[in-house]
Amino acid sequence: MIKRSKRQLGLAVTSMLAATMVLSACGQANKAADNSPAANNTAASNSTNTGEKGNTAADTSTEVKLKMVLLGAKPADYDQVFAEINKNLKEKINATVEAEFLAWSDWSQKYPLKFAANEDFDIIYTSNWAQYTDQATKGGFLELTDDLLSQYAPQTWAAMPKVKWDQARINDKIYMIPSNKANEFTDKLVLIRDDLREKYGLEPVNSPETYAAYLKAVAKNEKGITPYGLESAETNNHNLDKQLLVQKNNWKEFAGIPFTVKTDDAKAQVFNMYETPEFDQLLTYYKDLADNGGWSRNALTSKSSTTDDFKAGKLASMSHNVTALGGVMADALKAHPDWKLALADLSPDSKKSAAISTQNGMAIHATSKKAERALMALDLFQNDKQLHDLVMYGIAGTNYTPEGDDKFSKTDKFANYNSFSNWSWTSTLDRVDTNYPQAAQEIEKQWAGKVFNYELESFVFDKTKVVNEVANVGNVMTRYLAPLEYGLIKDLDKGKADLIKQMKAAGSDKIQAELQSQIDAFLAK
Amino acid sequence: MSERRHRFWHDVVKYRTLLLMLAPAVLLFFLFSYIPMSGIVIAFKRFDYVGGVFGSPWVGLDNFKFFFESGDAWRVTRNTVLYNLGFIILGNLLPMITAILLFEVGGKWFRKLTQSMLFLPYFISWVVVGSIAYNFFSYEVGTINGLLTWIGMDPIDIYNTPAYWPVILLVVNTWKTLGYGTVMYLAAITSIDKEMYEAAEMDGANVFQRILHVTVPNLYPTLIILVLLAIGNIFQGDFGMFYNMIGNNGLLFSSTDVIDTFVFRLLIGSNEIGMSAAAGVYQSVLGFVTILLANYAVRKYDKERALF
Repeated sequence: MIKRSKRQLGLAVTSMLAATMVLSACGQANKAADNSPAANNTAASNSTNTGEKGNTAADTSTEVKLKMVLLGAKPADYDQVFAEINKNLKEKINATVEAEFLAWSDWSQKYPLKFAANEDFDIIYTSNWAQYTDQATKGGFLELTDDLLSQYAPQTWAAMPKVKWDQARINDKIYMIPSNKANEFTDKLVLIRDDLREKYGLEPVNSPETYAAYLKAVAKNEKGITPYGLESAETNNHNLDKQLLVQKNNWKEFAGIPFTVKTDDAKAQVFNMYETPEFDQLLTYYKDLADNGGWSRNALTSKSSTTDDFKAGKLASMSHNVTALGGVMADALKAHPDWKLALADLSPDSKKSAAISTQNGMAIHATSKKAERALMALDLFQNDKQLHDLVMYGIAGTNYTPEGDDKFSKTDKFANYNSFSNWSWTSTLDRVDTNYPQAAQEIEKQWAGKVFNYELESFVFDKTKVVNEVANVGNVMTRYLAPLEYGLIKDLDKGKADLIKQMKAAGSDKIQAELQSQIDAFLAK
Repeated sequence: MSERRHRFWHDVVKYRTLLLMLAPAVLLFFLFSYIPMSGIVIAFKRFDYVGGVFGSPWVGLDNFKFFFESGDAWRVTRNTVLYNLGFIILGNLLPMITAILLFEVGGKWFRKLTQSMLFLPYFISWVVVGSIAYNFFSYEVGTINGLLTWIGMDPIDIYNTPAYWPVILLVVNTWKTLGYGTVMYLAAITSIDKEMYEAAEMDGANVFQRILHVTVPNLYPTLIILVLLAIGNIFQGDFGMFYNMIGNNGLLFSSTDVIDTFVFRLLIGSNEIGMSAAAGVYQSVLGFVTILLANYAVRKYDKERALF
């Protein structure tokens, strides 16, 4: 009985309960809002003051303890590694750091609350996928002026290319120290079992056609191996869309909505990628693969981990970005030295887009009273060899083995430290994993030459005005697009007509108009 | 007037022990059910952290729009209600029958063992049940299709055929909750006055007559309370069940999407507390109306047995 009545509370009361719990936090939120501009001013005036005194090093006579908020699991070796970091940091700038970790499972809920409740912290991880724009516009981050940066983070200021700073600007202001990795690619590619390809005497995979031939050969001849495994079943389109539609045609991706623009279109005309002839073609391609067993008929319900399945030899191919696939490749080859694996770019002639700098970064809390020292610490984490090695890889000899100045190999205890978002400190001082496959490195090298920078690169779509429509169109995609693309609907033409009709009914036109007007405004600047 | 007030205080003093025992429950209800109800305002606001629950700007009925604009409101509401009706009917009928059978048949040992076995699935989480189901129903590796091909039949594509799912979900839910309901009915049966059975036997009633004329009528109050309580929830889909059994498989949504999964899917990305609250209010208001109507119907039929 008690169980039953508890269930009765249901969604409504649960959400209200949650809301009441937030209540206490919200009481303080007002304060946060009042405080932040003031804090902004103080920080700014402080910096100008010190600026007038001349470019002397900052005053480090008093010891400070910096609080840092990071994403991910708290490392098992936190105590050991951070003790070492603190020893070093205290020597250099008379400061220590203490980190708090927001677990991957619920960071997105906790993250905004840190600001809403105006909790006491100085440094926080942020990213274009981790509410950078949101919190910056809401006044959660301290604006990092050129003065502040050049004075308190001089090494970063010198090392960071200007374009990376520019990509981090929101309304012309910088709120983060972005990571300074030479090239990180968001483009995707596929990992295949090259031994299987050779076994059936197929051409090397380098196009959608050769890839289809490979998948079909596996489906026909290898009982017990599924040719293609989904990156995630929790998606509203085909996992290969990004490669075969967006990358192949040089379009820009807007996650979660069906719209795109051509990257080389100066006018940036927004269009629905599922209403193009390119998509019609792709649909026939998908249908052919599905009918020939290219992927599981239950792909949309799959409950297993693609990475694990691939390593266990149950899958013949998977897709992801080059860094992730490089990792899978290294692990799989270790477990099966007899395999031959290959990374295949299905659209080798397309332009490549490097991740923009806001992919990872560190921001200062708007109300931090230790902003100067926090910047100094961040400066060292990114550019001081000794501290950089510590924050990136842990303790030498325990968590990793340094090899020369720019390489390392993982020890068994590597994962005891590397469990959180320390990527924000990547820089030119990074070491390369000696086990990182040659093939992946070569792809990165090749792509580096094809990187294409375009004006809309750092444009972010603000969905506030069309929240309802975005939610509903996303739902339509889950219901009509994903089954259509995975070949589960017999009549392609009817399936496509349904999809377009339903998207329109869900308000796709309104999203298109909003996106276009935002892009026009962005380009007009 | 003063007479009545006097009576009131007199009653308070007289029943002080009982009232004291009631106090914690009332307090808890007040704290966790009544006070949070003020949070309903969120459903009419565009929630932001700066304004908080009461300071955020009002948006009228905007939060309800997404639900009705989607064009799916009717479909998911219908699914939710029909599934719950099925669950209520099967979820009361079968446990009642099982309990009666157990009561009539068993030696003590047998009864206890069966009861525990039936109860076991209740403790398995839906996440696990979802995985078990996948291993049963999968097209390529599923047990069912393995058996079908073994006896020379064509495999069936369960995960891509919406028509199978209402049946599957009914069966799975019944399998999972049967033990729980059985225990409740068994408890009700054991509290029936033994003398009634003795009297029936004296009058020469056989087993079936005993069940039909003694046991079943005595179970009505339990049945009515359980059904009334369940009816209050008729607009709330069991999220754990539907989400773990169906997941993101859009092909099955026509027959398996309930309000809770629909709202979850729509709002998972947008972080709009106001919209989820709106969906919750919609469910609660409809549930409230239904339970009032159901209770009214019961009252009409038999005043004694109504919930209030």
